[in-house]
Amino acid sequence: MKKPTEDNKKDNRFELLRELLLEDDREKFTALSEEIIEKEKLSKRVQPLVDEKIEDLRQKFPEYFGDTITETIKVQIRDSQDEVVEALYPIMGKLVKKAIVSEITKLSDNINRTIQEKFSLKQILTRFFKGKNNDAGVVLQEVFEPIIEEVFVIEKDSGLLAGNFTRGNIADKDMVSGMLTAIKSFAEDAFSKENQNLEDIKFDSFQLTIKNFKTIYIAIATSGVLNSEFRDQLADNVNNLAEVILRDRTYLKDELKLNALIETYLITQN
Amino acid sequence: MIAKKVLLVGNFGVGKTSLIRRFVLNQFSEDYISTIGVRVSSKVVAYENQEIKLLIWDVAGTSGDEKIPKAYFLGASAAMFVFDVSREETYLTIDQHLASIKALSGLQNITIVGNKKDLLSKDELEAVLAKITVKIDLITSAKEDENVEDAFLKLTAQALK
Ligand SMILES: Nc1nc2c(ncn2[C@@H]2O[C@H](COP(=O)(O)OP(=O)(O)OP(=O)(O)O)[C@@H](O)[C@H]2O)c(=O)[nH]1
Ligand SMILES: [Mg+2]
Repeated sequence: MKKPTEDNKKDNRFELLRELLLEDDREKFTALSEEIIEKEKLSKRVQPLVDEKIEDLRQKFPEYFGDTITETIKVQIRDSQDEVVEALYPIMGKLVKKAIVSEITKLSDNINRTIQEKFSLKQILTRFFKGKNNDAGVVLQEVFEPIIEEVFVIEKDSGLLAGNFTRGNIADKDMVSGMLTAIKSFAEDAFSKENQNLEDIKFDSFQLTIKNFKTIYIAIATSGVLNSEFRDQLADNVNNLAEVILRDRTYLKDELKLNALIETYLITQN
Repeated sequence: MIAKKVLLVGNFGVGKTSLIRRFVLNQFSEDYISTIGVRVSSKVVAYENQEIKLLIWDVAGTSGDEKIPKAYFLGASAAMFVFDVSREETYLTIDQHLASIKALSGLQNITIVGNKKDLLSKDELEAVLAKITVKIDLITSAKEDENVEDAFLKLTAQALK
């Protein structure tokens, strides 16, 4: 008789083990399937009742749970005041704004007429009547509405103007961009550590935002109050504009083409 | 139109601003208002049948071996070194000045201009020029409008090279 090999012995033990385990499983399986069949029978009878109950719940939900929910919300509010404030803030903000606006509107009658052109009453009124409805919230927005007044796309090193957009009438835009570059060089040279760039210059009624790229920089003069939403949007638009210019450098050689591009990306978008 | 950035440098009070004022506005003033930082002016010039827009950077004058910020030279196509023929200290160390400007700007040729010609007699001027070792491009007078246009044309030619 052949002596069983090592492998054979192992196989036998494995068989045995399987038998032991499956025996148990088989019993469980039969029990389970019986249970399921039983449940299916039951559900056929129960289902219509459940459906009916759901429908009833849907219709009488407030009646059944109203009090519980109110109570739950009360507890929630008490336990998480910060979140609640955050949720309500925009709504309250509007109310507060309305109150301030009515005060400002009263005040604006007295605003000194010599205030700079951009903030003259006439200007405020034209902005105010720009076709929007007369809602007080809109007034505040309009009065302090951030507006792009000037855009300069300037070659970084030389300070030569490649293209621009203007609402006013700049006497010598080449000189302005040269001076701007000179001021920038001066400030960066005098006050900053290496590789720092001048980014913002603030004046009373307007500010200059400077976005630096490798070979060009873009300076944007804005008036009004720059909220973060406007800033973000502006930064996005400027980046997109710069991307187009830097990918197709013929823009830097063709002022009119670049001017049109600036308008598309920064003025009509905003 | 091509635009070029050019620079005027040199000791304080030699007449850089006056030369630019004469060239751009055809005006002159005896008053001395020292330039602070930089002042940029622009003028369109015709050179060999083409129009070129010059952006002229008028850099505040230096004294001694004071350095001009390197950033001012960035992207410049040409530079003019101005000295005052009536003030020795503005041309005595001209070699050193030129070397330092060349190093800072990377420009090979600097247009060299001696200004305030009107303050010296012919003989005095000759004596001064004998002391200067570098080649002078033009001797000018912003006050009497002598050679000013030519000096800037020379600068334009330099910028276009
Ligand atoms: N006589 C005479 N005076 C001149 C001439 N050019 C300039 N000046 C006078 O010299 C003084 C200085 O002239 P600026 O043009 O201000 O000199 P600058 O080189 O710009 O001086 P900084 O800005 O301080 O570097 C002024 O009083 C001018 O009127 C010239 O050709 N002849
Ligand atoms: Mg000056």
